[in-house]
Amino acid sequence: MPQQLAIRLTINGQPFEGAVSPRLLLSDFLREHVGLSGVRVCCEQGICGACTILVDGQTARACLMLAVQADGTDILTVEGLAQHGTLHPLQQAFWDHHGLQCGYCTPGMLITAYELLTRNPTPSETEVRQAIAGNICRCTGYVHIVTSIQAAAQAMRSGGAS
Amino acid sequence: MSLGATKYIGARIARREDVRFLTGRTRYVDDIRLPRIVHAAFVRSPYAHAEVRSILTDRAATHEGVVASLTGEEAVRLTRPIRGDSEWPGWKGTDFPVLAWPRVHFVGQAVAVVAAVDRYVAEDAAELVEVEYRPLPVVVDPEAAAEPGGPLVHEDWGDNLFLDRRGTFGDVDGAFAQADLVWSRTYRTHRHTGFPMEGRACIADFDPAVGVLTLYSATQMPHLLRTGLADTLGLGEHDIRVIAPDVGGGFGIKSHLFPEEVAVCLLSMRLGRPVKWIEDTAEHLAASIHAREHVHRVQVAVKRDGAILGIKADVLVDAGAYSVWPWTAAMEVGMAVNMIPGPYRIGAYEFRARTVATNKCPLGPYRGVARSSAAFTIERAMDEVARELGLDPVAIRLKNYVPDDAYPYTSVTGFIYDNASLQGSLRKLTEVIGYDDFRREQATARAQGRYLGLGIGTFIEQTAHGTSEFVRRRNPIVFGYDTVSVSLDPSGKVTVASGLHSHGQGHETTLAQVVAERLGVPLADVRVRFGDTESSPYGLGTFASRSAVYGGGAAWKAADKVRHNLLAMAAHMMEANPDDLEIAEGVIRVKGSPQSRMTVAEVARLAYHRPERLPPGLMPADLTTTQNYDAAPGTGTWANAAHAAIVDVDIATGFVRILRYVVVEDCGAMINPLIVDGQVHGGAVQGIGGAMMEHLVYDENGQLLSQTLMEYLLPSALDVPTIEVHHLQTPSAFTLGGFKGMGEGGAIAPLPALANAVSDALAPLGIAIDALPLSPERIRRLIEGREAEAQR
Repeated sequence: MPQQLAIRLTINGQPFEGAVSPRLLLSDFLREHVGLSGVRVCCEQGICGACTILVDGQTARACLMLAVQADGTDILTVEGLAQHGTLHPLQQAFWDHHGLQCGYCTPGMLITAYELLTRNPTPSETEVRQAIAGNICRCTGYVHIVTSIQAAAQAMRSGGAS
Repeated sequence: MSLGATKYIGARIARREDVRFLTGRTRYVDDIRLPRIVHAAFVRSPYAHAEVRSILTDRAATHEGVVASLTGEEAVRLTRPIRGDSEWPGWKGTDFPVLAWPRVHFVGQAVAVVAAVDRYVAEDAAELVEVEYRPLPVVVDPEAAAEPGGPLVHEDWGDNLFLDRRGTFGDVDGAFAQADLVWSRTYRTHRHTGFPMEGRACIADFDPAVGVLTLYSATQMPHLLRTGLADTLGLGEHDIRVIAPDVGGGFGIKSHLFPEEVAVCLLSMRLGRPVKWIEDTAEHLAASIHAREHVHRVQVAVKRDGAILGIKADVLVDAGAYSVWPWTAAMEVGMAVNMIPGPYRIGAYEFRARTVATNKCPLGPYRGVARSSAAFTIERAMDEVARELGLDPVAIRLKNYVPDDAYPYTSVTGFIYDNASLQGSLRKLTEVIGYDDFRREQATARAQGRYLGLGIGTFIEQTAHGTSEFVRRRNPIVFGYDTVSVSLDPSGKVTVASGLHSHGQGHETTLAQVVAERLGVPLADVRVRFGDTESSPYGLGTFASRSAVYGGGAAWKAADKVRHNLLAMAAHMMEANPDDLEIAEGVIRVKGSPQSRMTVAEVARLAYHRPERLPPGLMPADLTTTQNYDAAPGTGTWANAAHAAIVDVDIATGFVRILRYVVVEDCGAMINPLIVDGQVHGGAVQGIGGAMMEHLVYDENGQLLSQTLMEYLLPSALDVPTIEVHHLQTPSAFTLGGFKGMGEGGAIAPLPALANAVSDALAPLGIAIDALPLSPERIRRLIEGREAEAQR
């Protein structure tokens, strides 16, 4: 067996310690070691965006990082969006506006939208489309995704949700 | 038939299945955890055509962590090949082996597989398998493949034709003799594919103690897959359980029995432990299912006033190396030749239909099957004929459509169109897009050196193809029904089980809407299950725009039967006449005396636990029923749509920007308009992707050049505009509820609409599109060709 390296990081607000082989992808670490199967893997080349997570507040492709590179970071996955059983306004908006079909791209799309709304609470349609241009959806044609993200932005402004 | 007032059918209801997808609590194949699981990796051919001389697995087998391997030579002894055989005379079929032996017929075909403790080790070990190949001459170009004298894909055939058949309808010679114009052109659509975000995936789990093989598979058709596995492995279906859990998109690609799945089953049967295979993108692009590679040579006989008298079509489809199960390599060409006349009243038609084999990935159904290519041909021809005659593209269509009041209509090839709104849809489209205003805007833009274009693409689409249609197609399996069970339990809640499968379509919502409506219970009291052959009734699955019609119809019938029995029980308990009872939202009342009431839950509880309260002849099992629905007369129900695109072509770069995209569609009565909108949006963007950028490119050696998403381009949110959707509703005259299928339609018309728009934009340069995709490279090549001609 190859050498195992210790890593320590924060995942969805919880501390996590693990030992991983040097070549283990972060996506596989989160899915297989931590059990966060909401991290979805598609192209494994950083193009489709399905595996998008937040690493220290910035979107990153979990399939393009090694688990050891995440040592010391703070990670947010889709499992960390809902708080105390209440859906995040983005999740609620995707539900209300039919922002998903097969659901495979949804976790990455939600995380990308979360980052967008964190830095731009009032995005135009073009800004939404620019933000999600690195997340491929094969089902929705993006129309309802754009509607959902703009509706979430509105809800977050009026509701004061984080 | 039309519906009266409804509570749930027709309502824009947010999907009931969404929370698990939104919170990361889904259960796709790759999320399933089983003890002692191992992972498979395939060894794939780098050659398009070669003899496999030897496969040495010794180095792989002794690699640390490897538990098993399997080669083609072994697999052919353990399985029957996959055969998708058409019943057309002259058909030549293929043995599609589980692992290639003794020859490989396309790049990416699997020749061996290894299983190891994790995927990393399995992939390492696959690289240690040593395969010796002897390359053979390759067949890549379909038009060359169809000619005699070249290399052969399957030597014992004598040529490369799966099928060559002809048909003549009406007085073709007479029509062409009367024509003022015979328009001749060859139209080509290119190889692309559905690319669901989740690729193919399966876990085979053979339990030697009970002799049962369980296959978790990302499939659209769990029961058919069970049948296919039983045939291939020589097992009874009672010894196989197929579970299709959450599936990340399908689009037709996942409606096949794949060789890799059978190989993974063999490994699990050898090991007595679960074996998982999750394909990667390169495997998916090279070796799953390709679509839409067509060459259509057409001649159109037209009068000076634009009346189409007749069509001759010579249609060639490149089906790749093997015929797929359960569709066969005959399906695509059959649908193409039947749908080229499409929405138009055409009295005379002649076709030749050929499917050729090449050393490429097999062709199979992808959303819009063959109709995208057929619509590309007929709708490009309509525009070109209009231009030739100095007519307007809208006017020539309105002149030739089957009129909205002429249904049912029997098409030149014998299809029965139940009803449609072709004229109404196109008129609405021209209003919405501002057709006349655009022509003014276009003239202004041209004066400024901008190349704007507007293109229209329209179609009538057979959906929910039924028994008589698949018999006519001579398909070995006749997909003529589907199945739904409805069960009322002692708590008064309802479980719906279906042989369909939802992989994005929202059946957990729409089937519940139908059952709640017909049974008379709250939507929240209905739960829909599917995807497990052990708990769902045998059905054929979800593909071919069939689920709303077949699933909706079967759910309707089953709910009606349970309601009938429930009311008979309630009447007995309430000492009333069943005809005097009404049921709504889970409460049964005597009409006219609202205080005399029982809840569905009260009746159900008594039915199961106090059988002495039941009327003679009824038992608790009468609250459960399984119903098939066949959508008689089985000729399908016909949806239609009109699409329009406005584009801006940059002639310096060849880049096409889509400024607007409008759809007017008519799928009859809608169960859930929110879901219909989503399906149209998604279909249209897939169609746009196919028209503009998605292209599986093979070189002259049969090497696939587009094996990653860097080469195989998928449309992003910036590549497409907001798809504007408008509805007309012409309820089907044939189906329960008046439902028509609509899952595929969005993907059909973008090919012609965009090609017509680009041709319209570039008309001042004398450019007309006859092949796709509309890549900057193709546009620039056309412009440069014109410039070179001008200089001569």
